[in-house]
Amino acid sequence: MSSTLKGITLKGSAELVAEFFSFGINSILYQRGIYPPETFTRVTQYDMSLYLTVDPNLKTYLNDVVTQLKGWLFDCTVQKLVLVITCLETNEVLERWQFDIECDKTITGSSGTREKSIKAIQEEIRSVIRQITATVTFLPLLETACSFDLLIYTDKDQVVPEKWEESGPKMIADSEEVRLRTFTTTIHKVSSMVAYKRTDCI
Amino acid sequence: MRNTVRSNGCNLAMTSFHVAEEEGDPSGSRGARGGNLSHHCSKMDGMDDETTVFTTLKSFKSFISKPETSQKPPDSSLAHHHLQRQYLQRIEMEEAAEKICSKTHLLQMAQEKQQMELSHKRARIELEKAAHISARDLEREVDRNQELLNRIKKLEEREAETTRTLNEQMEMNKTLKKSLEGENKKLEEKESVISEANKTNGALRDEIRELNHKLKKLDMQLTTQSTDNQGLQEQLELQRKKYQELTMKFQELQATQSLNSDNELKIKELERRLALQEQDSVIVRNMKSELARLPDMERELKRLREENSYLRETQENSNLLREETEGLRRKLERLEKLKEDMVSLELEKEKQATVLQAWENLSEMTGLNIRKPEDLSREIIQIQQREIALKQQNHSVTSSARALEKARAQLQGEVTDLRTKALEEQKKREQQDALVRRLQKRVLLLTKERDGMKAILESYDSELATNEYSPQLTRRVKEAEDMLQKVQAHNLEIEAQLSKAQEEIGTYKLQTQKAEMELDVLKKQAPGAENSSFVMNEEVSSLRQKIEELEAERRRLEDQNNILEMRLEKHNLQGAYDPTKTKVIHLRMNPTNIAKQQRLDEVEHLREECQQLRERIRALQAGGAVTSNEGTLSLPPSQEVLDLRRQLESAELKNQRLKEVFQKKIQEFRTVCYVLTGYQIDITTENQYRLTSVYAEHMEDSLLFKVIDMSTFITRTVVSLLKRLQ
Repeated sequence: MSSTLKGITLKGSAELVAEFFSFGINSILYQRGIYPPETFTRVTQYDMSLYLTVDPNLKTYLNDVVTQLKGWLFDCTVQKLVLVITCLETNEVLERWQFDIECDKTITGSSGTREKSIKAIQEEIRSVIRQITATVTFLPLLETACSFDLLIYTDKDQVVPEKWEESGPKMIADSEEVRLRTFTTTIHKVSSMVAYKRTDCI
Repeated sequence: MRNTVRSNGCNLAMTSFHVAEEEGDPSGSRGARGGNLSHHCSKMDGMDDETTVFTTLKSFKSFISKPETSQKPPDSSLAHHHLQRQYLQRIEMEEAAEKICSKTHLLQMAQEKQQMELSHKRARIELEKAAHISARDLEREVDRNQELLNRIKKLEEREAETTRTLNEQMEMNKTLKKSLEGENKKLEEKESVISEANKTNGALRDEIRELNHKLKKLDMQLTTQSTDNQGLQEQLELQRKKYQELTMKFQELQATQSLNSDNELKIKELERRLALQEQDSVIVRNMKSELARLPDMERELKRLREENSYLRETQENSNLLREETEGLRRKLERLEKLKEDMVSLELEKEKQATVLQAWENLSEMTGLNIRKPEDLSREIIQIQQREIALKQQNHSVTSSARALEKARAQLQGEVTDLRTKALEEQKKREQQDALVRRLQKRVLLLTKERDGMKAILESYDSELATNEYSPQLTRRVKEAEDMLQKVQAHNLEIEAQLSKAQEEIGTYKLQTQKAEMELDVLKKQAPGAENSSFVMNEEVSSLRQKIEELEAERRRLEDQNNILEMRLEKHNLQGAYDPTKTKVIHLRMNPTNIAKQQRLDEVEHLREECQQLRERIRALQAGGAVTSNEGTLSLPPSQEVLDLRRQLESAELKNQRLKEVFQKKIQEFRTVCYVLTGYQIDITTENQYRLTSVYAEHMEDSLLFKVIDMSTFITRTVVSLLKRLQ
């Protein structure tokens, strides 16, 4: 839809961002080894090969979150998406991948398009995902069994859907933060960063 | 043989003689010789010649001995003669000896000849005999030969028959061989079968062996079981005895118990009576003591009544006193409050006095005619009125000043506008002049170009006549034209840039001039304020200081701002948010929650399993059989455990049956004993046995026996028997 038209609509932008999150979260789960590598399959997206999970429970969970996120992106009520990685034994938060979303609210509903080519946006997304893959080199190893959670920061007045509940921000106590690249569709601007628990080896 | 022996003997004799001669021993040797001879001759001679030899020998010996005896007494003078005689004798003897020898020899030869003849005869006879024998043998042999020939013929006939039969037999053999081969095959098959059978045999034997082993083991087990059985039987017997003893004891106990209960009842009654009596006695004693105490009690009563009255009086007094104290305390408080009030009032009074003094001094300070506050208020009113008037004046003045300022500002604005317009006009004019100059330059350049081109063309034209390089020329022309165009384009660009730059310069000039004008205006304004120069300078310096302070504060605030912004950024990175504007939500069924739940469930499950296993271990350690309430456990009982359980059950069953069987048998045996012998033996206690007879008149008639060691018994209850009888 948004690829055939010249410009980006709000709906198209929401879809692009949601798609990016879907692939990005899968990449992070694969890179950090939260789920075993044999539960992932390779697909081609953004002119690069990425990994998608085949675990059905995980797939349904991610689909639920991403579809809800798409709706909120369309409403421009979402501010951040955070992927929190917790150690199961100690219940400590070890890593925190935060994606800030800035929505240009001057665009109203389905009217109005912005001039930006899909290719450029995909190029930016590609660089972001490559950078995410590259962060593996300096992030500390996750040696214990870990599990992840997806938090969404929304406006205060946003209606909480049925299966969702409020939660804490799950911040890391003693953390190092690294800011990563951003990409923008001219309607939504997504900036990424990763915070990890400082290890005592340095 | 004899001849040779004789000849040897003769030779020996001859040699002995020769030896004697050589030695020359007269007497002893002769004798020796003679002896030797005789010996030899006796040996040599046969039956016929011995006597003659003997006689000759005897004469010889006598001959020898005579000269010996005769030769002994003569002296040495006769010795020589003797010697000669001896010598002559000797020679004679020797000759005689030789003669004898020859005679003997002859005799011997004659004998030998006779013997030879005899022997010849004998030989002839023997030969004849032998010939006879041989002729007979020959005849026999001939007969034999004939017989043998007959036999041979028969044998040959037989042989032919036998060959025939052999051939037949050979044919038979062949057929038989074939049949044999067939049978061999059968045999082989049978052998294989047999071998298989043997193998099976072997296997069966092994099995048999194993079965035998098992049998042996089972036999062993049986023996052990039988021994166990025996042990159990013995135990059973013991138990039975014990049981009987116990029953006896129990009966006795019951009897005694009944007695006991009766006795106890009696005892209780008696005790009750005793208690009652004791109580009565105690009561009597108490009554006595109380009676004794009565007068004291009365005295005390009196005293207490007096005290009571006294205390009541004192109580009233004390109540009164309390009320008084309360009243006094309240008074005290009030007085203290009053004191404090007084103190504070005094302080106020002093203050008021000072204030009053100040107010009174005011009149002296201000120099006005103030003695009372009314004067003060009057003065104040006057001052206020003056103030109001001044304010009104002020307002009017300020309004006029503002109006003037507005007019001035308008005029200034108009002035600046006019000046800007003038400047613009000037700038335009300058631009136009610049344009004109450029155009003139361009015209000059163009003319120059034209001249140049004309010159080139003329040169080309002139050159055309001499050379005929038209393509080169056209190329050169084209190149030149291109160059020209490029240069023109370059020119145009540079001119455009130039114009832009000039425009910018113009605008900057305009801005600077505007700024200068404003500065002039400000400067004009500034001298207007120099009237109050001194104050203004002070104000300016103070304003400058303020400005510097404000600047420093601004810088500080900027730094703070930067730090706060960094902190905010950091917090933002860490995930902080404004709770009033943002909220954090997530799916309830998220992987972390699910994983935590799974962990908890696992831990719970493991704990339960642990608990159950511990209970099971406790049960097993206690030794009891594991009950069937283990449905929740997932551990299947191993095969060994099942086998052992089955064995246990079977052993228990066997024990049970054995017990029953033993019980029955023992009972039977005892009844049989009782019936046959007429006596029943029971075990009462450990070493005591009771003998009861069939013919007893009462049930209790019995003999009790006690075992000290198995050889002696002590009878008991003979006395009881006697009593019974009585």
